[in-house]
Amino acid sequence: MNETRDATDTVAFGFSDVAAGEKPALVRGVFDSVAARYDVMNDAMSLGCHRLWKRALMNWLRPRADMRLLDLAGGTGDLARRFLDAGGGDVVLTDINEAMLAAGRGRARARDRGRVARALVDAECLPFAPHSFDAVTISFGIRNCTDIDAVLREARRVLRPGGRFLCLEFSRLALPGLEELYDAYSFRAIPAMGRLLTGDREAYVYLVESIRRFPDQQAFAAMLAGAGLARVEYRDLSGGIVAMHSGWKI
Amino acid sequence: MDEDNHDVDPKLLEILVCPLSKGPLRYDSKARELISERARLAYPIREGVPILLIDEARELEDGE
Repeated sequence: MNETRDATDTVAFGFSDVAAGEKPALVRGVFDSVAARYDVMNDAMSLGCHRLWKRALMNWLRPRADMRLLDLAGGTGDLARRFLDAGGGDVVLTDINEAMLAAGRGRARARDRGRVARALVDAECLPFAPHSFDAVTISFGIRNCTDIDAVLREARRVLRPGGRFLCLEFSRLALPGLEELYDAYSFRAIPAMGRLLTGDREAYVYLVESIRRFPDQQAFAAMLAGAGLARVEYRDLSGGIVAMHSGWKI
Repeated sequence: MDEDNHDVDPKLLEILVCPLSKGPLRYDSKARELISERARLAYPIREGVPILLIDEARELEDGE
């Protein structure tokens, strides 16, 4: 890695700034707390839209039977199943959080069709040989990482030449006039739903704040290019509430 | 890719390396660990899932 971050440098944890060394444990606490109800909560807080967004990501990826996918921050395996349903080959499903990976495993094993292998990994420091994958995806995960540049460099390293990185993440609303409604929904409705459905309001305050701290569409596209990914493009979904970013290893 | 018998998926083993040294890993099926000689670390395997986090690894003893 070209730059190393000192563990005492500060990074964003929601709207707070915390020492870089502390962020992983704080994020782990959030996801340990919500793992069991995570998919239910995704449906509630996105009003079901996360399904459309993930479908859009799969449409852009166009899975093939000879494609091997690495899904980072894959949690309960929602995206991995969509990849298989869309005709994809094998998936290595990873997360840094054991509770998230375990929550999906009990439910999904029968539907895995023997094509999903699981591993607990840190996306900033991947345990895979170079050129191992045809595609790397990360869906609503990268803003929880401490060193986003490291994640992008590692994704590129494990892609084969001609392989593709795709990211789905909350972004900047690009429809003027809707900001007030979006703010009210984000900062009032989502934490209240989080409390009702998972018993942990603070975890969802963190999630909402982390969305607002994440770089906007163009800034994030520049980070992909900075990590050596080529032909970087992005597409807004739902007026920019969410964006998909794509980059290739050439 | 059968996780029921808690063996690690052989196709996964082919591409795994040590996250710290990026060197090869040796699968110790008896101890259920993945050994990185280069980093002198042993990564645990729990219920067939390799835990490839540096914080969770055990340091190898001398002569191990």
